Amino acid sequence: MTKETTKLTLAAVTATVAVAQTDSTAINKAVETLKTYDWGDDPETLKPIDRAIIATHGDTAARMALEKRLVEALNGGISRSALDYVCRRLRIVGTRQSIEALAALLPSEDTSHIARYALERIPDEKAVEAMRNSLPKVSNKLKPGIIGSLGKRRDKKSIQAISNLLSDPDIQVAKAAAESLAMIGTPDAANELSKFAKKASADMKIPVADACLMCAEQFMASGQKSEAVALYNEFKSDDQPAQVKAAAMKGIITAATKK
Amino acid sequence: MENQKSKQAKNRGTFHSRRTFLKATAASVALPYLVPASVMGNAGSTAPSNRIVMAGIGIGNMGRGDQGNFLGRDDVQYVAMCDVKRDVREWSKNQIDEKYGNKDCKAYNDFREIMVRDDIDAVHCATPDHWHAIIVIEACRNGKDIYCQKPETRTLREGRLMIDAARRYSRVVSGGSQRVLEDYRKIVDPCWNGDKGIIKSINVNVGPFPIDCNKKGEPVPEGFDWDMWLGPAPWAPYHPHRCSGSYNINGESWRSFKDYSGGGMTDWGAHHFGGATFAIDVRELEPEEVIFHNENGRKFATCRYPNGKLIHHNYPGRGNMDVEGTNEKGPSKPVPDYAGTGGIYGDFIDCVKTRRRPFRDIEFAIHTATVCHLFLVAYELERSLKWDTANQRFIDDDEANRLVDAARREPWVI
Repeated sequence: MTKETTKLTLAAVTATVAVAQTDSTAINKAVETLKTYDWGDDPETLKPIDRAIIATHGDTAARMALEKRLVEALNGGISRSALDYVCRRLRIVGTRQSIEALAALLPSEDTSHIARYALERIPDEKAVEAMRNSLPKVSNKLKPGIIGSLGKRRDKKSIQAISNLLSDPDIQVAKAAAESLAMIGTPDAANELSKFAKKASADMKIPVADACLMCAEQFMASGQKSEAVALYNEFKSDDQPAQVKAAAMKGIITAATKK
Repeated sequence: MENQKSKQAKNRGTFHSRRTFLKATAASVALPYLVPASVMGNAGSTAPSNRIVMAGIGIGNMGRGDQGNFLGRDDVQYVAMCDVKRDVREWSKNQIDEKYGNKDCKAYNDFREIMVRDDIDAVHCATPDHWHAIIVIEACRNGKDIYCQKPETRTLREGRLMIDAARRYSRVVSGGSQRVLEDYRKIVDPCWNGDKGIIKSINVNVGPFPIDCNKKGEPVPEGFDWDMWLGPAPWAPYHPHRCSGSYNINGESWRSFKDYSGGGMTDWGAHHFGGATFAIDVRELEPEEVIFHNENGRKFATCRYPNGKLIHHNYPGRGNMDVEGTNEKGPSKPVPDYAGTGGIYGDFIDCVKTRRRPFRDIEFAIHTATVCHLFLVAYELERSLKWDTANQRFIDDDEANRLVDAARREPWVI
């Protein structure tokens, strides 16, 4: 037995003890229930799992053991309703060990969103990587969701791929790309938005202007005043919608008066 | 004929200028813009070209009342509405057309069609809560002022995004609780008059918490765009309780369920905590800590503000809106009130005209919603949490931070 295996075995034993302390019979029953759980069933039957989530807070091994059981359920061909329940709980307790199972759900129109429901909130770079890798593979219908989640995670490695989608003929994809780059908010993201703004179609004019203004606000907040003003200057002309022009002018004035 | 044409052109010119002005004028940085009463037609009836052109989004239940209030105003021209239920659209359009004696009102299934209309100055929104942030932000982007029903947010993260959009475009954005001022005046006045001395705390009793919905699917009624109703929320099969707009918060309306609402904690909480933050004068602040108590199975919680003031939730032995102060006579200060006439609706319209911030300015409304959500996260995790207002994150609690927001269903992104 290697040192690592011994460590894992010990962790599993500790976990079992901790979970036992939170009423293992009830948890076992609830996990078993997941196999047949469907729309119309009483959510109360799954409450022991919720209680275990609270009870195992701060006990990494117990949490990992609980998470493992949820992942096993996820991989076990459960109903959409059960899958929905599991992903919501992995949103709270999910770690690296959930990511592969969740990533497998990303390409399906039935499960992509609920997989992101967990993945978007798991603070592990592998979760971001899973979403980033799925972007070129998913349908246009699903792309806005993945793009949005990558934006929320401020994934700099996705800037180029998302920028390429600014000119996508599918307006939902293009709008999501603008919004996402605004959330990433780095100079590179702003630069891509700025370049695109000059050739944006009528229906992308406001989304891309808004995204640039959001980037400028982030620059201001991080003390990059000249970068912010440069961006504001691009949107102060008369060919911009009145509210965009006013927002840009307001930004310029704010920058000028900010110490 | 020629004269009439030139008169119309002249009116359009004035109208356009006024609209451009409304879109471009800063509510937050400009001096109040006082439109002379004669210009607005307040000396008699409002000139049609100077009415605030409005549309409504989400006209079931509260939206129906909101539409009636705005429609009844002489200084509003109501031109369009949107709802994902065909029967609601038909009812609403009929009401509007009847009021004006024409068939001009446009009825939409998709709110984005309202947002791109340049002739609309302001909208009101009374959709379920999971739609509020998306609609408010989209309205601001498109240069529209917006009155949004309470509770304004479904997640903590949404609040700051809404405030930022409002400030970015200098929009007038009003939250929707009329009770904050109208129901709680009797609690607020003694506090602001100094009758309670130095205020230490207030208690709010409200609930219940939102629940999961696992109801079995039924056929979607004809004329109901179920996918659009769900919008950014996770997909689920149609069930009438899931989407009922009734005021029930015990499992038979959307207000009960986590995906669409914060349950009674945000639904009634928006009123009670709104009144509480007003009474103890912390509307401009967010709590820095939420303290979870579990005394022999009795759970309650307390939000602590940076100035030391406390808002308790369900504190044992204390009544709803029960204020604790030092009880010596303290200094008094004037109590803020609505502008204009016609309650919270009149306040919003007056602010649209003057570019002042409304009584229920989005920032105050969000700070109330934040209190509700902080309590919800603390109760869900059953522990005390520290809140970093500047960064909108919990301090040293990655698990709690996962609950600051939820992934939205495609194509909805904010």
